[in-house]
Parts: sequence; C-alpha cells; structure tokens
Amino acid sequence: MSLLSFYARNSQEVLGLVGQHLYLVAISTGTAIVIGVPLGVLLTRWPAWRGPVLGVANVFQTVPSLALFGFLIPLPFIGGIGATTAIVALVLYALLPIIRNTYEGVAGVDPAVREAARGMGMTDRQLLAQVELPLGFGVILAGVRVATVVSVGTATIAAAIGAGGLGVYIFRGVAVVDDTLILAGALPAALMALGADALLGVAERRFAWRAR
Amino acid sequence: MSPHPLSPSPFGRGGTQSLPRCLGLLALLLTGCAHRDRVVVGSKNFTESDLLGEIVAQQIERRTGLPVERRFHLGGTFVCHQAITSGQIDLYVEYSGTAYTAVLKHAPVADRDSVYRTVARDYAQRFGLAWSKPFGFDNTFAITIRRRDGTRYGLTRISDLARLAPRWKAGFGYEFLERADGFRGLASVYGLRFAAPPTAMDLGLTYRALADGKVDVIAGNSTDGQIEALDLVVLEDDRRYFPPYEAAPVIRQAAIQRHPEIAAALAQLAGRLSDADMRRLNAFADVEHRDIATIARDWLRAAVP
Repeated sequence: MSLLSFYARNSQEVLGLVGQHLYLVAISTGTAIVIGVPLGVLLTRWPAWRGPVLGVANVFQTVPSLALFGFLIPLPFIGGIGATTAIVALVLYALLPIIRNTYEGVAGVDPAVREAARGMGMTDRQLLAQVELPLGFGVILAGVRVATVVSVGTATIAAAIGAGGLGVYIFRGVAVVDDTLILAGALPAALMALGADALLGVAERRFAWRAR
Repeated sequence: MSPHPLSPSPFGRGGTQSLPRCLGLLALLLTGCAHRDRVVVGSKNFTESDLLGEIVAQQIERRTGLPVERRFHLGGTFVCHQAITSGQIDLYVEYSGTAYTAVLKHAPVADRDSVYRTVARDYAQRFGLAWSKPFGFDNTFAITIRRRDGTRYGLTRISDLARLAPRWKAGFGYEFLERADGFRGLASVYGLRFAAPPTAMDLGLTYRALADGKVDVIAGNSTDGQIEALDLVVLEDDRRYFPPYEAAPVIRQAAIQRHPEIAAALAQLAGRLSDADMRRLNAFADVEHRDIATIARDWLRAAVP
C-alpha cells in the first residue's frame, strides 16, 4: 500500500502537519467559542439584534476562503500570510453555529422554569449562570460540535496561505497529480473530524442526560 | 495544473479546495455520459485555460456546426486528465511542459521540439489522445518581482537574484515547489538561497502577497495579465532552466475518428497566438473583466477569419 509506505517514510513530517492542523482547529474554535457564546447570550437579551448578527455570521459562511484570504492579506495585525490569517478565516467560519446554538439553547429554556427562578428572587446573572446556561448547555455543545467538525475540514485551506496543516499534502497532491499525496492529507483530516465528532457527541449526550 | 493553476485574481474563486474539486469530478462522472454527438470541451481552473477552451469551442462551432458542450474551470491538470481519459470530456488545452513533467513524469528538458514530440507520441500510445499543433505562445514560469525593487537593485535576470536572495522572502505555489521543473532545480541552477524556506501558498494569492510587500519574489506565469496590472516585472531565465510550455488542444482520438472535421478546425488555430497576444487576452479578462466569450469571438474574427 503506497499510502502506508508514504507515512512510514515521512512520519516526522506527517506528525508535524497533524500538529499544525490541530493547532489551527483548537485556536480558531476556541476563539470562536470565546466570541460566539457571549454574543449568543447577548442576543437573547436584545432580540432585535438577532437578525443582523446572525445575518453577518451567515454572510461569512458564504465567502469563499481564497477570496477571504485575498481581502485579509493587506490588513495589519489580523492579515498577512501565515497562521494568523488562516485562524481569522476559520474563526469567521465557525461563528455561525456557535452563536445560533447558544441563542437557541438559552432562549429555549422553558419559560415556566425561568419564571420559577425569578420567583425565587434570582438576579439576571444568577438566572443565566444557574439556570439558562446549564439547561442550554447540550444545545450550545451541539453548536460547538458542528463548528469543530467543520473547522477540521476547512482548516485544509490554511495551506493556501502558508499556514501549513494537512492541506499541504492535498495541495501538493493536486499540484502534481498524485493520488497518494492527496489521500495522505485527506485521510487523517477525515479521521480527525470523525474523532472530534464522536468525542463531542459523547460529551453532548452526557450533558443532555444530566440536564434532564 | 498547468504550468499554471492560476487564478490571477484571488477574488471570486473559491474552487481551489480539493473537496469541491472531487465533487465536481463526481458530478462530471454522473452527468457526463450522454454526449454521443456533442463535442465536450473542458478547461482548467484559471483564466487562460478558460479563454483557450472558449476559443476552441467557438472555432469548432463555427467551422463544423457540431454542438459544443462547455465544461470549464475544472480543478486543474489532475481533474482534466482524469476527465479526458475516462471520456467525460473530448478535448481541453494542455501545455507541453506540463504534460511532459506532471502527467508523463519525465525529467525536465529545455528542448522545445523534443518535448512536444515525446508528449504527442506518449499521449497517443498510452491514452489514445492526440495533440493538435500548438497555439504559438509559451506560458512558462515567470520569476517575478516588484518593479521598484527591480529598478532599485538593478535586477533583470534570475542570476542577479542570487546576491539578494539571502535577504529576501519568497512565496510560491505548491505546483512550483513540487514539480521537477520547479523551485528545487531553479535554486540549484541559479544558486538561490533565501532567508527562510519559501512560503507555500495558493498561486493566485502570491501575486497579492507580492504586491502588498508580504513576499519579495514569486513564480507567476509569463502570459499573465496581472504582471503589468500590479506593476511587477519578470526576470529573464538567462540560464534557460525552464522547459517550454506550449499550449495545444488535446483531443480524444475517438472523437477525431467520429468527426474528422474537428481536426481541420483546430489546425487553423496553430501558431496564431503569440506571447504578447495571450498576455493581452488574459488582461482583457483579468484586468478589464471583459466577458470571455466576447474576447474569444473578437479574437477569432480578427485572427482566424
């Protein structure tokens, strides 16, 4: 099997690219959570903003990554060539499912439960921390799960802007008409996506169970 | 990919991810099976290939009256080669040097005639594909820098680059970094040592990175319209390192046997496009954003009446 012998010959390089790939996904998904979850909670407090914010996040999803990179290259701090630009693009792509599910999770809490909590004298902050976020956690996690799985696949495009990752093999393989190289990049990326999906799926089920 | 999976404008071209490519190929396989009496013309995913595909398509339409189906912007050499050998498309425009090194995997040579002869012979024997006569231009790799750097440092040839390379940053497309006739050979022939290993990135984005000063030297394509538009200059390949990349239509022999008049129509295009012509047509599309079908029609009317 030529793929196995390819891995055997290039094990150092493969591990390096897998590491870069994980780094890109972890940093970008982490950043998207830090931005997206508070934003989703804010939307439940100011529902008028829901349409515009989700609309903008939706638009980011539709911009092709090469076009996005083209716009980002000249920008200071978040642009240029390399990992930063790739991470910025990945964050923009990951925002929509996280913001939307946070909103749905928090807004979907049974109004009777919310009333009961208020009746017990909870402040808005207590209500959020002790009732809404714990009850909505399963839904929020489902959003994070979608964002992570999509990021693992999308992160292959980082190779277009000099940020490395498993996309390097895919780009090289496509450039020189070499199936083995393409598979060498695509297969671990697919396994990584399946792994992330399974892992977060387990977490999601546990929290859904606990919330009940 | 060509010499040149070139999307000279990085905008509006999301198609370089490989997943969409594979899906595109799949869609081709699923839908492309019903073209008995149509001629299916493909092209690769960059402007010049689309333009040449359109020129070939219109030439066949007006000379033979056969209906032509266009399957343009396929994901590069890989996808086009798969599509034509499996009979999903009947012809597309390929470059002799690309076929020689990337498809046939020969070691690069700089002799124009022997490259074309070998490619035509091997394609006929191995794939049942015929090479028409070349259009007449040579779209080779172009080692490209900003014009003001060229003036400031007095750079005109690639061999001038060696003394500056240790202070410069390079950004190259994957194809140029990988190919036997790409960066490694160039670096050893000209003794180039850059400050850091060249950044590997999408070819279309390298133009932008160069224009914005993020890198100092790139490998573009000599017939590309962006070079003048972005105020860049091409360094002369003074040691004749790059093999020739003559563009010519590649067509399934089965299609020629069914419709011999196609071969006659294609023969009329031989030698009609110079390097300057091709650069001008590319600039019409990439810089002035004119419609490809109109560019092709106007050129055909003027050059091949």
